[in-house]
Amino acid sequence: MVQVKEGTLDSKVPDGPITEKWDRRRNELKLISPTNKRKFEIIVVGTGLAGASAAASLAELGYNVKAFCIQDSPRRAHSIAAQGGINAAKNYPNDGDSIWRLFYDTVKGGDFRSREANVYRLAQVSNHIIDHCVAQGVPFAREYGGLLANRTFGGALVSRTFYCRGQTGQQLLLGAYSALMRQVHLGKVTLYPRHEMLDLIVVNGTARGIITRDLISGKLEAHTGHAVLLCTGGYGNVFYLSTNAKASNVTAAWRCHKRGAFFANPCFTQIHPTCIPVSGSYQSKLTLMSESLRNDGRVWVPKKKGDTRHPNDIPEEERDYYLERRYPAYGNMVPRDVASRAAKERCDAGYGVGSTGMAVYLDFKDALQRDGVDVIRSKYGNLFDMYLKITNENPYEVPMRIYPAVHYTMGGLWVDYHLQSTIPGLFVLGEANFSDHGANRLGASALMQGLADGYFIIPYTLGDYLAATTLEPVSPDDAAFQDGIKEAEGRLRKILDVDGTESTTSLHRQLGQIMWNHCGMARTEQGLKEARDQIRELRERFWTSVRVLGGPQTLNQSLEYAGRVADFLEFAELMVVDALHRKESCGCHFREEYQTEDNEALRDDENFCYVAAWEFHGVGEDPTLHKEPLTFQEVPLTTRSYK
Amino acid sequence: MSDTLNLTLKVWRQAGPDQPGEFRVYQLSDVSPDMSFLEMLDVLNEQLLAQGEEPVAFDHDCREGICGCCGLVINGQPHGPLRETTTCQLYMRHFKDGDTIVIEPWRAAAFPVVKDLIVDRTPLDRIIAAGGYVSVNTGQAPDGNAIPVPQEVAEKALDAAACIGCGACVAACKNASAMLFVSAKVSHLALLPQGHPERKKRVLSMVSQMDAEGFGACTNTYECEAACPEGVSITNIARLNREYFKALFA
Amino acid sequence: MNWLVQGLSSSVGKKFVMGVTGLLLCGFLAMHLAGNLLLYVGEETYNAYAHALHSQEWLIKIAEVVLLVLFVGHIALALVLTQENQAARPIDYATRQSKKDTPVLIITPDNWMFVSGVIVLLFLLLHLSEFAWNIWLTEAVKGKEPFEKARIILTDPLSTFVYIVGPAVLGFHLWHGFASAFQSLGLNHEKYTPLITWLGIIFAVLVAVGFASFPIWAWATMETL
Repeated sequence: MVQVKEGTLDSKVPDGPITEKWDRRRNELKLISPTNKRKFEIIVVGTGLAGASAAASLAELGYNVKAFCIQDSPRRAHSIAAQGGINAAKNYPNDGDSIWRLFYDTVKGGDFRSREANVYRLAQVSNHIIDHCVAQGVPFAREYGGLLANRTFGGALVSRTFYCRGQTGQQLLLGAYSALMRQVHLGKVTLYPRHEMLDLIVVNGTARGIITRDLISGKLEAHTGHAVLLCTGGYGNVFYLSTNAKASNVTAAWRCHKRGAFFANPCFTQIHPTCIPVSGSYQSKLTLMSESLRNDGRVWVPKKKGDTRHPNDIPEEERDYYLERRYPAYGNMVPRDVASRAAKERCDAGYGVGSTGMAVYLDFKDALQRDGVDVIRSKYGNLFDMYLKITNENPYEVPMRIYPAVHYTMGGLWVDYHLQSTIPGLFVLGEANFSDHGANRLGASALMQGLADGYFIIPYTLGDYLAATTLEPVSPDDAAFQDGIKEAEGRLRKILDVDGTESTTSLHRQLGQIMWNHCGMARTEQGLKEARDQIRELRERFWTSVRVLGGPQTLNQSLEYAGRVADFLEFAELMVVDALHRKESCGCHFREEYQTEDNEALRDDENFCYVAAWEFHGVGEDPTLHKEPLTFQEVPLTTRSYK
Repeated sequence: MSDTLNLTLKVWRQAGPDQPGEFRVYQLSDVSPDMSFLEMLDVLNEQLLAQGEEPVAFDHDCREGICGCCGLVINGQPHGPLRETTTCQLYMRHFKDGDTIVIEPWRAAAFPVVKDLIVDRTPLDRIIAAGGYVSVNTGQAPDGNAIPVPQEVAEKALDAAACIGCGACVAACKNASAMLFVSAKVSHLALLPQGHPERKKRVLSMVSQMDAEGFGACTNTYECEAACPEGVSITNIARLNREYFKALFA
Repeated sequence: MNWLVQGLSSSVGKKFVMGVTGLLLCGFLAMHLAGNLLLYVGEETYNAYAHALHSQEWLIKIAEVVLLVLFVGHIALALVLTQENQAARPIDYATRQSKKDTPVLIITPDNWMFVSGVIVLLFLLLHLSEFAWNIWLTEAVKGKEPFEKARIILTDPLSTFVYIVGPAVLGFHLWHGFASAFQSLGLNHEKYTPLITWLGIIFAVLVAVGFASFPIWAWATMETL
């Protein structure tokens, strides 16, 4: 039985009307003089949108920053792969958008499991993000008149998404990366590429440093700082197959969790509706096709079960445009969780297409006829090319086959309004925290959140923490750090010493199967219980039969990977525990026991309108549940409807 | 799909930067044509692990052609035979049963081999650090629509900004020149009004950093453009030259 | 002047100098070819042209100095760049394959610029030792008028060979060099670059065919002597 505690979490949300909360708080926050900022060292782990923007902005303010990433260059963080766009409440198209509407859509899209004050602040700073990125030279799409262009994304009835073809994440990240490199040049940021964070060091209850492994030499190092910013992204790779990059992992977040940071809503994982279906057992990752495609593509399956005809041979009247049928108001632009479940429902019912029957069509025939090939190519050319490369099918001629895949994790380390975790001095930004997306993230909101946290929130809240806290000097030679190194060393040694017969990939793939089957798009009490047992069993197998070759004192990709999978095996159980305890359906968390008559998610606001933040007690032991109640004053709790 | 492939792989193995390297030959059977090139290497690594040989080290991450991590010279061609394709987006259906595939790392003095097929590409980061940015601090920006940018200019800037920093241009150039990489960033920022205030300083310091890193010069053979997975055009190199002379003589 | 030296000694600057010297040398080639074509007009015209040219002592001196500077600059930079470019890739690939579209010429000029340049240099040295320095075939042309001198030299079997191969290799060099110089100077435009490329090829062919035609003409007109 999980232990439950209430009233233990202080979200530090300011008083007052929602429109004034952030301004009010900013006026209250303590400041540090420019000369004193130089005396602080800030550790930033991860150089994606959140990490790079935070590191650059803090260095601009005068802090000394150490930035760590596992890739060979900070420019390669997985934010780079975001395709579609970034939301902002600019209302340039004059279609009735506003900060309040962006806020409203995001809260509703998140199925009322996010913190209202955070979301409102996100909507507020969204406009500054666009301004700043433009000033950095991000080449956003433009109208013929030279002004910024917008497109529509899921879950909204306005056009508020700014984009750079199908590579918006890349351009925004390169903007943040260039700002970061400017600070490297100015000597304010020290860069540590190919360094993996293996532990958090907590001294006197505050986060004071990290243990890293230099991935080239294998050397374990202790780094001290006055605060640690964790910007390490999401944990979608717990499913093995996901749209995440291969190196994306939960290790840094999990280590912090084991050191005392609460993990919030880990079961909230987003399954993206438009990905290229799995083709074989060797498959190493899944590729997303941007949600923006649903602007022009129409989703359908044959009306007849098991119809094996070529899609172009199936006449119009025998096609079931099921999203348009079920959700006439939003049609193909329903939020991701809704679109994903609808696809799964059709495939499970036997209407799926392709060799596996686990796919639906995304058809551009009408758009091509309406707008012509050139227009479609200018909008989605790179996505169509990518699809052709992977599947060897030409989407200009044949409808795409798509199926949902794990994409984003709304859950993450619990943070307060200041983005501080339950460990003072440990701040968590971007996808790694839980704060803004509730149970489902709307398209084009991840980029917005990562950059909001890094550019516009942490520069204010970090200063307040540093000004208000007295921190004793620490040294890498202190016992806390040396013990951390020894522990990390021991863990690596332990992995190498197993010397079994199974590959890490195979074990990871099995974990993915368990998670996808039982903790994926649809979950049941029975399945989740089975999953928990299976995970424990698999974890045991890992520690008795994994085989990793090579040594620890060298570049050893197998060892890096095994370490990450070992952490996934611990983390997966927490995910299942969270999914098991949340006896309701909300957003991406769909418990089959809790659904409406027409198969929509059935929330239980009476009993589950809270953030579930979990406290770690030991591997395999029941964590303690801390509840942060959610109140909705601005957006009344209603059943989401996209009909 | 069609039948599976049996392949002979000649893979460069090198334990570390200062150690000698050599090609080792591996046989791989039953490769599905629907596998990506990197998935094929995954299978090879699983096979090596089972045989007790250390897996081949190679850089990779997003596996969807955008992070720029992966990069192998496949039968003498950076990123393999297809145009505008990264190694991770290359599929085995482009090879034939019985093929011998030679796999090498990027080779350049500025990109020393770290291990096996992994090279050190940090010189590219240092070139960006030398000036590949607009010096604007967070919070200073005017409204995004304050300066209109003609659509075709924005598109051209994005064509250049699309560079993924993989280093294939360096790998393809007979002089191991990084000119296409540098020109992509210089062009991106020279085209946009936001990049104008620093354009002179930027091009001079980026070129000087490029030279200091030990890359070769451009001899206009345009192999870089052909190997670039993003199709970055050599017109950017001409623009770099132009920007450079404007900065030098003006 | 420090800024200039520094600016021109970067990789981009060196290519700029290569391009400028190369294009100026192309200009010289065009003039030289135009003058030589007077051989076809007739003996008197050619001789008159040659004497008129050589009577401009100061002009010749200045032209010689300029040409010397251009050649030395072009060649010295070629040596430096080639050395640097080779150092940029100390270990070569086991196999190498172009990803470009199939080229017009099977042996691609852009990959052989140094070799073709060296051959052109050797050709130039022989050419100068015969026509300018008079240290080769000295006896045969003693006291001969320029028109006659040209025909005698060009019908020497070794010279015939060199004066056919030399221009051919020069054309091969220009095939890439001409258009490449524009790129190095930053002159690339989607509208005009294809034109420049074609101009370069036409120029290369004209230079090669033009100069190589002289020994053939010399042999063809031998019997009429």
